[in-house]
Amino acid sequence: MTDYKKNRILLVEDEESLAVGLEFNLVQEGYDITRANDGKTALEWFQKQVFDLMILDVMLPFYNGFELIQIIREKYPQIPVLMLTARTGIKDRIKGLELGADDYMTKPFHLEELLLRVRGMLKRKQWYQDLPDVPLRFRFGENEVDFETLNCIAGKQKFRLTPHEAMVLKYLVRHKGKIVSRDELLEKVWNVSPEVETRTVDIFIARLRKYFEHNPGKPVYFISIRGAGYRFMGG
Amino acid sequence: MKHRRSSLVHILIFILAQTAWLSLLGIWIYWYVTNYIIFSSVDDHLSAQIVSEGRNVFVLVSGLILLIIVSVLMSLQFHRLNIQFNLAGLYDNFISNVTHELKSPLASIQLALETMHRYNLPESRQKEFIRMMLKDTERLNKLINAILEIPALEQKRIAHNFQVYPIGRLMHEIIGESREQFNVPDSAIHVEGDASCECVADRNALKIVIDNLMDNSIKYSSEAVQITVTMHCAHKCFVLDFQDKGIGISAQHQKKIFDKFYRIHDRSSPSVKGTGLGLYWSREIIKYHGGRISIHNRGRHHGTLFRIELPIYRAVKNRYIQNLLKVAQKRRLKETADDRL
Repeated sequence: MTDYKKNRILLVEDEESLAVGLEFNLVQEGYDITRANDGKTALEWFQKQVFDLMILDVMLPFYNGFELIQIIREKYPQIPVLMLTARTGIKDRIKGLELGADDYMTKPFHLEELLLRVRGMLKRKQWYQDLPDVPLRFRFGENEVDFETLNCIAGKQKFRLTPHEAMVLKYLVRHKGKIVSRDELLEKVWNVSPEVETRTVDIFIARLRKYFEHNPGKPVYFISIRGAGYRFMGG
Repeated sequence: MKHRRSSLVHILIFILAQTAWLSLLGIWIYWYVTNYIIFSSVDDHLSAQIVSEGRNVFVLVSGLILLIIVSVLMSLQFHRLNIQFNLAGLYDNFISNVTHELKSPLASIQLALETMHRYNLPESRQKEFIRMMLKDTERLNKLINAILEIPALEQKRIAHNFQVYPIGRLMHEIIGESREQFNVPDSAIHVEGDASCECVADRNALKIVIDNLMDNSIKYSSEAVQITVTMHCAHKCFVLDFQDKGIGISAQHQKKIFDKFYRIHDRSSPSVKGTGLGLYWSREIIKYHGGRISIHNRGRHHGTLFRIELPIYRAVKNRYIQNLLKVAQKRRLKETADDRL
């Protein structure tokens, strides 16, 4: 058993039978699971304990998943969040990712795929070590990123990246000047098959542009290459 | 967002059209007044050849009537459009809620099956997963039935088997069945009062109403559910008060709570499940019985009180109630005849 399997996961799901099934499977995989049936209880758990990953339903009593992720992202920008929901609309998917989710799965889902994604999200420390060429502190233009603490400075603004935002940025920096396809990013950063959802990558690039570009509409660092992917032009 | 933009466009078109008509009216009045002064100032002999006052007045008055008709029609059109937009918004909500209600149990069943396929589970675990799957299939079945019954409800076919019942005893039975169905402990429901009067009712339809009230009380109680039902026969109607100690419904939502697809999205709500059809159905069923259902303001966190009033058979005996019985009897006779064939 690898180290990442000892991680603590907060499972926020109000459907009793689904929560029981997920808990059973995640425990079998070696994770330490805490369950919350609603948004309020999830917030209470966050005040008591540190978690390595959160699996979050959207339609929840008290605070829904969208509200919850906003509150949590302000206080705990580091925690990877996998949204799990019955809402299948592209608008909801985009909303979830824009608000700070790192990945999004719709119900019903395949158990194997869910476990793979959870594993992928928790393997980020391992993944970081696989990219030795990227310096811990990286500057481009007026921006500075610390890949260890994920703290950033963009002009006069200070903020912190989420782990997945940092992973996308790190991968682009590692391949700066080269075209990186959406499929490649999905495979390397999300650990998922490229057929799954390429829109997720676009939303993450939009998030990075919002942070680092002077004019996100006319990007200088995160360039779109039509039909091919993205090219990072900083540093 | 899209709906809001579309409705803004409609509002804009409406305002522009009205402005155009009113401007035309202004110009028209101006034309008439100025011409009248000119015509009056010229020689009487000449003006008589140019203008026929009676015809001008006719043109003005008929034009004004036409304008008023156009304005009223446009206002009506606008009002209808507005209703349609509101309904479309609520319908979107309904689709979203139904999607959630369909996909959640489906996901649970799929997960349970994949888990059983993946691991060699001990028998106790297997039984637990099977029990959960059966619960989810039951939930799916209920929802699908509810959706399939919408057209029947719309065409007032949901309640059809009307008979004269001692209503107090019938309600006791229905509440008992509902309590068992929702696994509510006996001690959580107090039924008080004695109602020996008779009402014309469809047993199955009234069961749907009580099930909906019970389901809502369970969903919207933060603590364990506590329900008190009181019944009595008043002068002309049977009255049933269904009261819980749940989170209650604020005044702003009370007016709309019986509307089709209407759901309250509230941070203090302990449940997000539902389609927005339950109370609409309940109101339609009670209305079809010739009665009424109402909600009484107890405010947030003071529980909810629903009052059902049904006409007493012997006290009212009106044509509507008689007709319900006649139609139900004909239907039963037809069914018996069909069975014999």
